[in-house]
Amino acid sequence: MTARTQLNAAWRICYFNGLVPLGRQPLLTAAVFLTPFSFLFFLYVIAKPEFFPYGVVGGVLFTSLFTGNGMLNDCAYLRLERQLQPIFVASPVRPIAYLLGMALSELAFTIPALGLFLGILQLVHPLSAFSFLALLGVALVTWLMSTTLGFLISTFFRQLREIWPIGTLTFSTLSVLPPVFYPLSIIHAPYRWIAFLAPSTYSAVLADRAVGLSGAPDIAPGFLSDPFVELGVLVAITLLFALAAVYLARWREP
Amino acid sequence: MPVLEAEHVAKTYFGRRGEVRALDDVSLSIDKGRLFAFLGRNGAGKTTFIKIAATLLLPTAGVVRLFGEDVVRSPRAVRPHIAVVPQEGRPFFHLTPREHVEEYLRTRGASRESAVARSDEILHAMGLGPFADEPAFRLSGGVQQRTLVAMILATRAPFLFLDEPTLGMDPFARRQVWEVIRAATRGGSTVLLTTHYLDEAEQLSEELAVIEGGKLLYRGAAEQLKAKVGREVRLQFAGGFEDAELAPYGRVLHERDRTTLLTTRRAAAELTDRALGRGIAVSVGPVTLEEAFLELVGRGIEEDE
Ligand SMILES: Nc1ncnc2c1ncn2[C@@H]1O[C@H](COP(=O)(O)OP(=O)(O)O)[C@@H](O)[C@H]1O
Ligand SMILES: [Mg+2]
Repeated sequence: MTARTQLNAAWRICYFNGLVPLGRQPLLTAAVFLTPFSFLFFLYVIAKPEFFPYGVVGGVLFTSLFTGNGMLNDCAYLRLERQLQPIFVASPVRPIAYLLGMALSELAFTIPALGLFLGILQLVHPLSAFSFLALLGVALVTWLMSTTLGFLISTFFRQLREIWPIGTLTFSTLSVLPPVFYPLSIIHAPYRWIAFLAPSTYSAVLADRAVGLSGAPDIAPGFLSDPFVELGVLVAITLLFALAAVYLARWREP
Repeated sequence: MPVLEAEHVAKTYFGRRGEVRALDDVSLSIDKGRLFAFLGRNGAGKTTFIKIAATLLLPTAGVVRLFGEDVVRSPRAVRPHIAVVPQEGRPFFHLTPREHVEEYLRTRGASRESAVARSDEILHAMGLGPFADEPAFRLSGGVQQRTLVAMILATRAPFLFLDEPTLGMDPFARRQVWEVIRAATRGGSTVLLTTHYLDEAEQLSEELAVIEGGKLLYRGAAEQLKAKVGREVRLQFAGGFEDAELAPYGRVLHERDRTTLLTTRRAAAELTDRALGRGIAVSVGPVTLEEAFLELVGRGIEEDE
């Protein structure tokens, strides 16, 4: 099949695995909503009001990051529990088309949550068109990074039970510890570099910069203060995960 | 002309509880348009073989070629020409049987029109018409399984792997599926199927292989298997014979109140004469494939122990 037919395959997978189930059972999106919205609610109740917009941007990023957890669980479930991944392996569909199709289905499930967070953000911290698109861009790169990582991990397990804790651990570590829901500036300057060990920190800092929160250029340590370096690192990590997902993921069992 | 050639295929799984030798030096070939059945007990290695040949699993040793392409080295050349019903597969939760067939065909590159036409045709042929627009989660296990078989057979792929395709189906559904499988081979596809139902293998397949403990015990036609194990005829006596007298001639079984002997044609002729001479009623018939299978695999197990 040509690149075009592979893209078409990805779109079909997004349609029947994401859009159709979403239309039939809209409550499925609740799973995506609940955690980030609870975090935001706590933040609203206990934190200073000026942190609230960080929390809203955090909700956008958390939602994007957790597409990776959904990807991990759904891919593992379809492969192990329903034996459905094998019917795509034994077919002209390439792993990259399957990966993209599954990742797009995960994205479909996040649309209501993303819409909600972006709506709230517009109320508490109105954005210019450019800022809005920049934030959306960061969210999309983050989605791609997380889903490729989720797919990669999913292919290495033989038991569904083993996967659930791994996913929760991986993606909670990526979204709760780094400054996703709180400003980077809260971390004492000498220790900030530690946050930059997590890929999600780049998403968070870029998102905050995109919407004009904590835009101080020296907020991050050293050369990481340059937004283009931050973007470069985020894109590089995403490419790395994507390449790993295409070349290292176990499409065929060993 | 063989479209599948397997040479010295072996597979060892390395698990937490040590090594499992699932396949041991399996060689066979399947000609184009054939319906080939794999028989064996649970854990014999049938699924492992299908997974290796269908590019789902790497072998430990050996070569499988499909349409002349090595499944290990050139999976991309093989995959467009195959489709597989995996063992114990289950459909997508929210999709209807019609959506399963149409969407799978379109994902594999079929046009919308041909996907719609083929799905109408196969849903009808497999008796799925009344369920075509119900989401899978409301369907019974047998109908879910038929949905998976329908989506794979609808591809009309040149090589179809069906791992226990009729599991959990009622006898009517099984016959409908057999008919569609036969139609696939008439259309030029080659089919490799595994089954637990020996009557299914007897009804469907032109050729079969019996596998036990990862080793190929037999391959050939069903009738020849009966001859090979020396159990072609079943004799039933209404009393009058001691087991000790019959035992040298074959396998003695007790079914209800009758003594049954599975034996060769020659011995059957001799014993029938003897029974009639004693005025004992005797009935004569062919053994089933199941009986021949039990005999063949049973001997393999006895040798091991
Ligand atoms: N992933 C695996 N890891 C370890 N052992 C396995 C695995 N898959 C199958 N086996 C073992 O290999 C043998 C053959 O299994 P299988 O091919 O599924 O047999 P069948 O399909 O004939 O029932 C069995 O002993 C089974 O337990
Ligand atoms: Mg099996």
